Amino acid sequence: MRENIKLSRRGFIKATGAACTAVLMAGALPGFLKPVMAAEEQIDIKDALKKLFGDKKIETGHVDLDVPIIAENGAVVPVTVTSDLPMAAGDYVKNIYVFSEGNLNPFVAKVGLTSANGKAEIATRIKMRKTSNVRAVVETSKGNLYQNMKEVKVTVGGCGG
Amino acid sequence: MAEIGKIMIKVPGAIKKGDVIPVKAMVVHPMETGQRKDSKTQNLIPEHYINDVKVYYGSDMVTSMEWGIAVSTNPFITFYLKADKAAPLKMVFKDNKGASFEQTVQVNPQ
Amino acid sequence: MKKILVLFLLAAPLIISCTSSTTSQKKAEDEKGVKEYAMAVDVKKFEEDYAKVHGNELKKMAEDGNPGEFIVEDGRALFHKVDGSAGKSCASCHGENGAKNLKGISVSYPKYDANIKGVLTLPVQINMCRDKNMGVAKEKSWKYGKAEITAVELFVKSLSNGMPINVKIDGPASKFYEAGKKNFYGKLGEWNWNCAQCHVKYAGRYSRQEYLPPAPLLADHWPSFRLDWGKQAGMHTRTIQERFKGCIKNMRVSDDKIPDFETEYMRNLELYVMAQANGRLQQAPGFRR
Repeated sequence: MRENIKLSRRGFIKATGAACTAVLMAGALPGFLKPVMAAEEQIDIKDALKKLFGDKKIETGHVDLDVPIIAENGAVVPVTVTSDLPMAAGDYVKNIYVFSEGNLNPFVAKVGLTSANGKAEIATRIKMRKTSNVRAVVETSKGNLYQNMKEVKVTVGGCGG
Repeated sequence: MAEIGKIMIKVPGAIKKGDVIPVKAMVVHPMETGQRKDSKTQNLIPEHYINDVKVYYGSDMVTSMEWGIAVSTNPFITFYLKADKAAPLKMVFKDNKGASFEQTVQVNPQ
Repeated sequence: MKKILVLFLLAAPLIISCTSSTTSQKKAEDEKGVKEYAMAVDVKKFEEDYAKVHGNELKKMAEDGNPGEFIVEDGRALFHKVDGSAGKSCASCHGENGAKNLKGISVSYPKYDANIKGVLTLPVQINMCRDKNMGVAKEKSWKYGKAEITAVELFVKSLSNGMPINVKIDGPASKFYEAGKKNFYGKLGEWNWNCAQCHVKYAGRYSRQEYLPPAPLLADHWPSFRLDWGKQAGMHTRTIQERFKGCIKNMRVSDDKIPDFETEYMRNLELYVMAQANGRLQQAPGFRR
């Protein structure tokens, strides 16, 4: 009796497995399942940067990154990015990118600025899946790239206030 | 009650013309990642997040943002603005389900 | 099987002797009143040490933008909304934005009230006002722990921000203060813990990935906004009694035995805990991890 159940269970798994593979190969995956599949793959920060900036060299300097050493709550980590680069009409910080390298998709936000902002500084709060680097990349209107990164430790607390 | 899409924009009270002022904005939004399970049904909660933010000062668009799922729930953003004219500051938030929320505050430098 | 039986037989007298010793101990405690622990840390030093590890991250975030401010606005709207048979709103008696007579009121809550012969908390006061002065029917009374009453409580408290907490514990209140202390020191749950263990005896120690805050730091910021992992989409502030419930649950008390909102147990406990924060400046909504 037991054997029978085992066999039939195995048979079932085999059958459904085959069906799933068939669906996958046909590319007929229902739309609502797609983000789930994508979410299980970790996108490497290098790939994320390459996709955005190609092979352009990203230099260090001109970017100040203010993050906590230990996040009180990984779901709400405050990040401040400041750059001392000019914000003049013809030469300004065009974009500030924020990445959290441990997230499945490291991209967090892109903030597009203009000279009307007067100052290249932004602050926001981000979700971090685990302890990892937070990276900020600054892109100027002339196409130069600068970056800075800092590690943030993420713990899961027990009680909280 | 504090429902989705409510926006709070804070600018300093007394501003002189030409000052670079901080603009702090908060918006009520769940910012669902699509990776979280409903504790009752065990189904994944679909992605629902603000992905596009635009800021207008008078008729000019001064700042535009693209957000991913990793911006925290009830997003908060600070940016700066050179207050060189008396004009409305409008922020427009759009989410991936097509909803749009906006709020305007007046910037009145002396 | 045999082994287990032998073990049990060996252990039985031990168990019996243990229980008998705790009951006699308890009796002695009852006669003498509660035996208080010595506070394990200097509160000021705790705050400094905490800042060394975590910086002023939470404080800065709260100043920049606390999502609890949306709830204050909800409370403000409800405060000005007419309800009940008298055709009044809270503002009818207390003035626009409570300007007439509400500034500095909330820091003295909870307090002894002769009419109910017990501790009057702010939510109970709000419902009493609605009942007596606004003519709101009993069945339309706001449910404790729910959004409406918490929003109005928060709005009223926000009017006294920056003022020192000043809860009276002498005179007729002293009896209830002692009762609250008894709750604070009363052992609960599977682990036989009490509030004082974490917040007095072992305050400042590192437990469950965080520092146990000493008792005087527990009460100056309610209702508070909480950054909660599990409730990412949740947009609400918590009251101090909701926090009590959470703590009691963490102490492994089964759900059906956790005291309900605004019961005598909760109100006395709130009086005791708020009194520990006397002199500290009220800041509502709080902002906690």
